[in-house]
Amino acid sequence: MKKLGVVIVAIVSIAAALALSACGSSSSGGGGKEGGTLEGAYTSYPDYLDPQLSYTAEGWTAMYNVYTPLLTYKHADGAEGSEVIPGLAKALPKVTNGGKTYTLELRKGLKYANGEPVKASDFKNAVERMFKLDSGGSSFYTDIVGAEKFFETKQGEISGIETNDSTGKIVINLVKPRGTFNNELALMFVAPVPANTPDKDQTASPPPGVGPYTISKSEPGTGWDYVRNPQWAKTDSKLLPEIPSGHLDKINIHLIRNQSTQVNEIEQGKLNWIFDPPPADRYQEVKEKYEGTQFKTEPTISTYYFWMNTAQPPFNDLKVRQAINYAVDPAALERIYSGQIAGTQQILPPGMPGYKKFELYPHSMAKAEELLKEANPSDKDITVWTDSESPNNEAGAYYQDLLKKLGFNAELKIVNPDNYFTIIGNTSTPNLDTGWADWFEDYPHPNDFFDPLFNGEAIQPTNNENFPQIDEKPLNAKIDKLAEEQLGPQQEDEYAELDKEYMEQAPWAPYGTRTLSNFVSSNIDLEGIIWNPTFETDFSSISFK
Amino acid sequence: MAFEPPAAGLPGPGPDEGFPPAEAGAPAGESPWRIAYRRLLRNRIALAFLGLFFLIVVFVLAAPIWATHVAHTGPNTTHTLEKISVNGETKEVVEPSGRPIGPVWLGAGGKFFFGADGRLGRDEMVRLMYGGRTSLLIGFSSALITIVFAIVLGLLAGYYKGATDSVIARAMDVLWAIPVLLLAIALGTALAVGGLRIGPIHVAGNSLLIPILIIGFVSIPYIARPIRGEVLSLREKEFVEAAVAQGASARRIMFVELLPNLWSTIIVFFTITIANNMLIESALSFLGAGVRPPNSSWGSMISEGSDLIYSAPLLSILPGAMVLLTVLSLNVFGDGLRDALDPRAKVRLEVTAAQAGPEGAAI
Repeated sequence: MKKLGVVIVAIVSIAAALALSACGSSSSGGGGKEGGTLEGAYTSYPDYLDPQLSYTAEGWTAMYNVYTPLLTYKHADGAEGSEVIPGLAKALPKVTNGGKTYTLELRKGLKYANGEPVKASDFKNAVERMFKLDSGGSSFYTDIVGAEKFFETKQGEISGIETNDSTGKIVINLVKPRGTFNNELALMFVAPVPANTPDKDQTASPPPGVGPYTISKSEPGTGWDYVRNPQWAKTDSKLLPEIPSGHLDKINIHLIRNQSTQVNEIEQGKLNWIFDPPPADRYQEVKEKYEGTQFKTEPTISTYYFWMNTAQPPFNDLKVRQAINYAVDPAALERIYSGQIAGTQQILPPGMPGYKKFELYPHSMAKAEELLKEANPSDKDITVWTDSESPNNEAGAYYQDLLKKLGFNAELKIVNPDNYFTIIGNTSTPNLDTGWADWFEDYPHPNDFFDPLFNGEAIQPTNNENFPQIDEKPLNAKIDKLAEEQLGPQQEDEYAELDKEYMEQAPWAPYGTRTLSNFVSSNIDLEGIIWNPTFETDFSSISFK
Repeated sequence: MAFEPPAAGLPGPGPDEGFPPAEAGAPAGESPWRIAYRRLLRNRIALAFLGLFFLIVVFVLAAPIWATHVAHTGPNTTHTLEKISVNGETKEVVEPSGRPIGPVWLGAGGKFFFGADGRLGRDEMVRLMYGGRTSLLIGFSSALITIVFAIVLGLLAGYYKGATDSVIARAMDVLWAIPVLLLAIALGTALAVGGLRIGPIHVAGNSLLIPILIIGFVSIPYIARPIRGEVLSLREKEFVEAAVAQGASARRIMFVELLPNLWSTIIVFFTITIANNMLIESALSFLGAGVRPPNSSWGSMISEGSDLIYSAPLLSILPGAMVLLTVLSLNVFGDGLRDALDPRAKVRLEVTAAQAGPEGAAI
C-alpha cells in the first residue's frame, strides 16, 4: 500500500517559512504560460527521493517527472491516467509463453540528465538495486525467475532478466503468469538509473533520470529543487513524445511543517502550490472561498474501513459482522473527516477498474440490533484499534461509541501512526478484534485490493495486511485465477462480482474514499493541472496564468 | 516528652517542640496548629482561592448529575448526525463541514451548554466536567505518591547520611537531571500499548493508573531533596539527641520525632505538588502521552480543541482556563498556607525585598 504520508502539524513553521519569505516568488509577476519558478511546499519530507525506494504518495509525486520506467502511466486525469503506456520502451511488452515471458525494446538514443546513454542493462541493475536495498516494492517483482533467491542472498544476478545493450532488447521471464505485471513495470521501483548509482539510499543526491525535470538540489529536512533536464530538450523529448515537457523552468519545494502557514502563504502569493490539503480546521473556509478559482478537490483510489477479525469471537459470526455494517454510517464519518471522504460501502473505490456501485448494508440501527439479537454473541469484550492521527482517532472513537451503543464492552486502543500497521499486522498482538485501516492503491488494478487484503494465502504472522484474517477457499481460488489473467472487460466484471461476494461475508465495514485537493496561488492556472490517480499532481501540467 | 506518642488525632508536633514557633504574645498553651489556623483565617486572598478550588471540586464532582439529569448524555457519547432544538430552532450538532455547534447555554434545556467538542459532537460541558475529575484525580493521587515516596526517601537519606544518603541523593540527582516532561513522555509512550507489568500486577495501557504512576514518580526528587535538607538540619537538634540518649530506635526517631516536625513543610508541598502534577498531566495529555482517548482530561481536551483553534477557539480556551484557575487557586492557597505555618519565611522574604528595594531603585 502506498501510504498517505503522516501529516504532522507542528506549532512553528521554523526556518523554511523564513527562507521562503526571504526569497519570495520570482515568478509572481506572472508572464505568459511558459516558464517561471514554482514555489511549492510539502509538510514532511518524502520517505525517499530515490526511485527504487520511495513508497509514498509524497515521493511518487516528487519523482513522476524525473524518472520514467520502461512503461509509465499516461499524464492524464481520471481513468485515462490509469492507462499504462510505453515509457522508455518502444511499445507495450509482447507477452508470450502463456503469460510468463515479457519482451520489451528500449528506445534508442535516450540519455540520462547527466548525458550518459540509457542502456537496457540499466533496467536489470535497477531491479537488482531495488532488491539489494530491501525496498518496500520488492514483493511486486519476486515472480521474476531467480528474483526470490536474489532477494534473499543478494548474490549473483537475476537470471530471469536478459538484456542486450546493443539492440536494447529486454526479456523478462516469470515463474507464473502475472496479470498485474504491466502495472508494476510502470512503477518508480524499476525506473532505470545509471549503472554506477550506489547501492544505498540516494535521497540527499538523487541519481539522474529520464524526464522533463531533474532534481538539482535535495536537502532532507529543508526542501529540494528542480530544473529542466538539459538532455530533455536536446534528445529525450523527441524520443518520448507521449510525455509532456512541462511549462515551468524551475520548481522549488520547501518543507513547511505548519499547514496553516502553508495556507496563509498561498493566500499571500508567497507559495504557488502545496502538496497536502489545507488542515481540517481551515479546509471548509478555503473550499468555500477558493473552490473553482484556486482550489479543487481531487479523488484518490482508496478505501477507508473498519476491519473485523473473522478468526475470533465475536466477529467469527457472520451476523455480527453484518450487524456492524448496518450500524456504521458513512454519512457520520463524512462529517468526522470534515467532508474529506466520500461515503462508500464496498471494497473497490470509484476510479478502480471493476468498480460497480452497490450498497448491501444501508444504514439501519434497528437492523443491526435485530441481527445482533439473533447472533447473541457471548464474547462482548472488544478492543478497537486505531492510529492517533486526526481524524482517524476520532473515527475510532466514533466506532467504539457505536459498539457500546450496540451493547459491546468496547475499549479503544490508539497507536502512534508510525507503528500502527506493524502492530495490527502482527497476528500475535493480543486482542486484535476490530479497528480502523485504510488502503491506497499502488496501481490501478483491482488485484491490488483483493490479493494482499483478502487472500487467505496472504495471511502472514508479521506485516500481515489481511487484517480480518479472512480465508475463504473458493474466493481465494478466484483471486488466484484472476491474478494470472490480463485485465479485460470480462475480468473487470469478475472483480466486481468478487467485491460483492466479499462484502456478503462482511469482513470489513468500508465507509469512504479519501478526497485530496490542489490549492494554488491566484496566478496559477488551476484548470490545467492534471491529477493522475497514481502519481497525483503532475508538475509538468502546472503553469502560470 | 519525646517518648510520648504525639497527641491523639493531632498530626503535628507537641507544643514544646516549638515548630511552627508560637507567636509572641500568643495565649499560653495554644497549639501551633491553632495559631497557624488563626493566621490563615486572616489571609483573605488565600481563603478566597481555597473557596474557588472547592467550587471547582464541586463542579467536577457534579459531572454525573449534570450528565444524567441535564445533558442526558455521557462524556464519550457521539452525536455527529444529531439535530437539536435551540430555542425552537433546529440546529445540527455538527455541520456537514465538520464544524461543531457553539455554546447554546440553556437554549436546548442544558444540552450542549458549551456546544459540541468537534467532529464527533460530544457534549463539551459534560466532557469538561468529567475531564476535570480525571485531571484532579491524577493531580491528587500522583501528588500523594510523590509525597509518600519523597518523605520516606528524604527521611532515610537525611537521617542515615553517609552511604545511604549518597545512594539516594545521587539517584535523585539522576532523575532530576532528566527534564521531567521528557521523562514522562518517554514513559507514557512506552507504557501506552502494552501497559505496565510488575510481577503479578498488570496495569492496562489505557488505565488512569499509568499517568498517575508516571507523574507521581517523576516528581519525587523535587520534593525529596528539600525534605532531606530539612531532616539533615533537624537531626542535629537537641530533641533528637535526647531521643538517641534514651535509646530510641532509628525508625522511631524518623517517624515519631522527625516526621511531625516536617508536617508543615509537607502540607505546603502537597498543595503545590497537586498543582504542578496537574500541569504535567495537561502537558502529557496534550502531547498524547497521558490520558488515553476517548477519555477526556483538561490537557487532552486542549489538544483536541487545538485542531479547531480557528473555528471553535472555546474548545481549547475552556479547559485551558480550568487548568489555569485550578493551578492558580492551589498555588495561592499553598502560599497562604506556608505563610500561616511558617511566618518566618515571609518575614525573611519581606526583609530581603526591603533590602533589595532601595538598591534596585538606585540602579
